Amino acid sequence: MQTTLPQLAAPATDDAIFLLGLDGVIQSWSAGHVASWRPEEVIGCHFSIFHPNGDAEACAEILARAERDGRYAEEGWRRRKDGSPYWASVVITPLRDAAGALRGFAKVTRDLHERRRLEQERVQLVEAKEAIQTRDEFLSIVSHELKTPLTALQLQLQILRERLQGTDPQLAARADRALRSGTRLTDLVESLLDVSRIATGRFELNLESGDLAETVRIVGDRLSEAALRAGCVVAVTAVPVPLSFDKLRMEQAITNLLSNAFKYGAGAPVQLNVRAEATDAVLEVRDHGPGIKTADMERIFARFERGVSSRHYGGLGLGLYVTRQIIEGHGGTVTAENCPPTGARFAVRLPLRRKEELH
Amino acid sequence: MGARVLVVEDDHDIRESLLDVLHSLGCEAVGAPNGRAAMEILHTSTELPTFILLDLMMPVMDGRAFREEQRRSEAFGHVPVVVYSAYREVVDVARDLEAAAWLEKPIDMQKLRQLASALTSVPPEI
Repeated sequence: MQTTLPQLAAPATDDAIFLLGLDGVIQSWSAGHVASWRPEEVIGCHFSIFHPNGDAEACAEILARAERDGRYAEEGWRRRKDGSPYWASVVITPLRDAAGALRGFAKVTRDLHERRRLEQERVQLVEAKEAIQTRDEFLSIVSHELKTPLTALQLQLQILRERLQGTDPQLAARADRALRSGTRLTDLVESLLDVSRIATGRFELNLESGDLAETVRIVGDRLSEAALRAGCVVAVTAVPVPLSFDKLRMEQAITNLLSNAFKYGAGAPVQLNVRAEATDAVLEVRDHGPGIKTADMERIFARFERGVSSRHYGGLGLGLYVTRQIIEGHGGTVTAENCPPTGARFAVRLPLRRKEELH
Repeated sequence: MGARVLVVEDDHDIRESLLDVLHSLGCEAVGAPNGRAAMEILHTSTELPTFILLDLMMPVMDGRAFREEQRRSEAFGHVPVVVYSAYREVVDVARDLEAAAWLEKPIDMQKLRQLASALTSVPPEI
């Protein structure tokens, strides 16, 4: 038998080489390790011991094919000592003597389990990335498509409201209510678009010089009706803070923080404060709601998250996420803390001069 | 207001709604479903519009292609264009295309009124 061994390809160190007799019984184990088996446990056994179901008939067929074709190779499931399956590459070569008579078989087994696991992980990662990309593209398309009918709807409602204002103030108020719902729908769609923008790296800021206090007042005025409906009196203290920022995005961030304060601190006052502090512009929104659980402090800034059950409070759970993206895009930070005896304070800090301006 | 407005918009409902709004503002307004059709209107009409209200995403000839061709025309290259889109990126496109102004969908009637009034009070360049 030893006559024909050198014709086998040199095995890698993790290949196990067995010599099988004509009957498939393992006669020797000459190198390598395989799946926790020890030589004394397998020598003298039929090589079907490695097969998941110990299928002797299938093993006989394998040997017959190796003899007929001069080589049998496959990748498939094999069995560890503890019975668990692993993925293996198996090559069986017939061994002949000088006269060409079949004397037995060489069986080279390689444990591919780790390679297969890594390959599967790689495939799963690629699939997950593709799924995320598909979702973001889908979000972008859906948002855009939703805006088209919304545009026609809002225009018609605006015409109706205007016509009715002179003739039927009550109906005009109803048109106004419908318009407000349309605006909310638009805002929701816009948040979805923002998520897709952030995820695909298309979230850009248009910086211009302005006064943060003025932006805060604009938002405060715009949300005065929402504050009234929530039963919140908003106290604004703001000193002029000249800053380079994206006005629309900053309005959006402040709107999100204020809307949150109205949502969770309904019926109680809300304080809005803007000031300059050393090298930072500071904007604080303080509510008197239930506050935030310590465990939720970081989570509330993540996508689709909220500090409380979605059954009790509406929204997509995107406001603080988008707010943080906006603030961080400006080189700033946004943090949350609880304020005894009750309520939460969100603090935005923006560098008065951006890093690149300092050089 | 007396402005003449050419509305280039592929969505029938939005186009009709914009025409309604503009009529209610006292403007004369005609619509075109895409840039190509708008070009034909500009080429064949005797009176040029005061301004063009241009959607960006359209089949056949989109807003960008329309604006680029319109801008090169000696006859009507001077007509101001207001671009609008459902994407906030409309700001950047407006800058690229040297648009007179931009609007974001859904379009706010008050903003449109202010724009129409501002663009009407400016005497057209001859």
